Amino acid sequence: MSSKLRYRGRIAQIGIYLGKLFRMFIYQNDWKVLPMAALIAGLVTFAVGNNIFKTQEGTLSGCFSLVCVCVWNGFFNSIQVVCRERPIIKREHRAGMHISSYLAAHMIYQMFLCVLQTAILIGVCRMANMQFPEKGLVTGNFTIDLAISLFLITYVSDILSLAISCLVHNTTTAMTVMPFMLIFQLIFSGGLIPLEGFAQKLTNLTITKWGLNNLCTLGDYNSQGMVTLWNTVWKFREMEIEGTKPIKLFTDEILRKNMLDQVLLDSGKYNTVADYTYAPATIYTCWRNMVIIMVIAAVVSVLLLKSVDKDRR
Amino acid sequence: MPTMPKLTNLEYYQMIQAVLLVIGLWKLMEKCGEKGYYALIPGYRYYKLGEIAGRERDGIACFVFEIARFLLRVAYPVIPDESSPEFFVALIILAVMLILVIYQIRVISGLCFTFNRRKWWIVVWLFFDWLMFMIWGFFKQFQPVNRGVDDDDNLLAGTKPFHVQYGSQDETADTGLQVQLKERTVNDFGKKRYLLKDIYFTIPVNSLVLLLGGSGSGKTTLVNAVIGYEKANAVIRLNGENVYENYDQMKYKIGFVPQQDLLRQTDTVYNTLHDAAKLRLPVQVSRRKSKERIQEVMDVLGLTAGKSGLVSKKSGGQKKRISIGMELISDPDLFILDEPDSGLDGVIARELFEKLHDIAHQGNVVITITHTPDRVADLFDKVIVLARDSGRVGRLAFYGSPDEARKFFGKDTMEQIVMAVNKKEEGGEGRADEFIAKYAELQAGQLTQAEPQETEITEDEQ
Repeated sequence: MSSKLRYRGRIAQIGIYLGKLFRMFIYQNDWKVLPMAALIAGLVTFAVGNNIFKTQEGTLSGCFSLVCVCVWNGFFNSIQVVCRERPIIKREHRAGMHISSYLAAHMIYQMFLCVLQTAILIGVCRMANMQFPEKGLVTGNFTIDLAISLFLITYVSDILSLAISCLVHNTTTAMTVMPFMLIFQLIFSGGLIPLEGFAQKLTNLTITKWGLNNLCTLGDYNSQGMVTLWNTVWKFREMEIEGTKPIKLFTDEILRKNMLDQVLLDSGKYNTVADYTYAPATIYTCWRNMVIIMVIAAVVSVLLLKSVDKDRR
Repeated sequence: MPTMPKLTNLEYYQMIQAVLLVIGLWKLMEKCGEKGYYALIPGYRYYKLGEIAGRERDGIACFVFEIARFLLRVAYPVIPDESSPEFFVALIILAVMLILVIYQIRVISGLCFTFNRRKWWIVVWLFFDWLMFMIWGFFKQFQPVNRGVDDDDNLLAGTKPFHVQYGSQDETADTGLQVQLKERTVNDFGKKRYLLKDIYFTIPVNSLVLLLGGSGSGKTTLVNAVIGYEKANAVIRLNGENVYENYDQMKYKIGFVPQQDLLRQTDTVYNTLHDAAKLRLPVQVSRRKSKERIQEVMDVLGLTAGKSGLVSKKSGGQKKRISIGMELISDPDLFILDEPDSGLDGVIARELFEKLHDIAHQGNVVITITHTPDRVADLFDKVIVLARDSGRVGRLAFYGSPDEARKFFGKDTMEQIVMAVNKKEEGGEGRADEFIAKYAELQAGQLTQAEPQETEITEDEQ
């Protein structure tokens, strides 16, 4: 009877797969996600313009766009990584590979990718002269707070996408499911389309909701001015009522007394959102909820991939 | 006194349709040898139709989705009107109904094959299902002439294996591979389905073994059971150690090379083998020893020259050798290869099998599945022939040396042996049951006499 031999355990196997993944980063096309992230970030910052963190409308649309970039990056990073090599995983699992080690290696590697993508995104925003608020809510430095938030949004999306990649059996199915997931994330963010009742409850399951709340809070949305009301009133300036133009008189008077900023700020006060309350607790709630989604997705990934042995040949 | 709710004309029409559908299906079920009252059970009736149509999986799917639809429709009135959940449930019901129709179409398509009718009957079924079932149920021209004829390679395994009496199989071998497989079954909606049954053999060490059989005969299922990956009701011993009981240790003593080259194309040859060594070699093996082993495997398989090149740049033969190398690293006692020569030309395939022969004759057992065995038949020490019996169950039709196999089947080549046990629909001779019974008899005789017994081959068989 042979003596009991010990084979590499979970931690050691993480090392094996991490080495493999970093080699792939160089040899395979994984590095291409970085210039792609820069390109997307450039397009979005160009479109968002300089209104972000200045007016409520600019902050909302700008933050939503940044969240979209992060979710897009995260989803694309890992949507195919598992399903494209499912038969290889099955073979290696048979040879002693631990599914949890394999996925842990992927999660660490994806973290590295997400950090780089976040740095690129912030760098591009800086290059585009996007004006950041001076003070950060959590660390005191806005850029660091923003970096943590953008990283979390990207990384949680990445892990959610990894779970999908563990669920589906091939890349075609993965790429079919992904747009559906993206649409769900965008529509149920609750930021752009007002939702009520059951649909509103569904928003709690999305990364985009917590990401948007996070960024709008960081950008101090509630203390910014709202321009929509003023812009709408401005369009009615020439409207005559019994031979007079009361709206023109009203707007001219505001401009003459140099009260425009005050009017915008006041109209903003009537449009505050409780979810964007400028307080560290709001940020912590968003971060906590995103981490919960990530942990659930990670556990689900492992459970789903354990079924790889049942794959048909 | 309670009054009956007044029905609309549409509801009367639907009710008459439902009654006619049941009557038609009742007759159709009876025509196919099933109990007519199955037609009364929604969901289950499509499951039975799936069985009749040779599309059992689709029938099962119909059954599941029918239940899902029923449950959702029960839940639907409970949900408050015009609420968001009501909308979502309605959406899910719609999706379930669409999926159900697709699976039902698959069943009806199979039914068209069973009744040898054209596929346009699906259109009739789609709009007037009751009419189709009435016609197929009552008209004598509509008969299930293809019932039981396999139209699909993926047909589920059978529930009634061909009956053969085997002798006692209690002996234990201390060396080599001993397989005592009573059955390998799956539970399919409460039905016990046999994938493999009664497979008993002992392969001595220093053997290169050919595993032969037509498609669906259970070769890969047997391999998975032998290596402990999919456990069967069996005792598998490798050099005296029970594979199932000591699976965590034994899996490192077994190498399995799948048919496809499952390799990461963008890694180098050396790194691929290096990672395989890390995964498969015990931690007690030093780095130096591990490197020596990698070098040894590369030398044996002729991979040293291009070891720094990417796997994607290698030829089919080289990829196959890398794939073999990954398993060979741990120097397994049992080495199983699923079609290692697929895609390789004769010369390279021969070279590969010669290497496998050498590996086997270093105190190992090497089993290979190949569909072109005759070009390397002289290299094999033993042959296992699997066949699918009339009950669609994988059975052992022969185990012995290649010469004994030729004599047993009365054939000159291995490919002719496969054709002898293959079904007639596949171009074979359909003699699987005959050889399964004959081999069982031979085996029983060997066990009682404890000596090999030659089987006389009649002229007819030859």
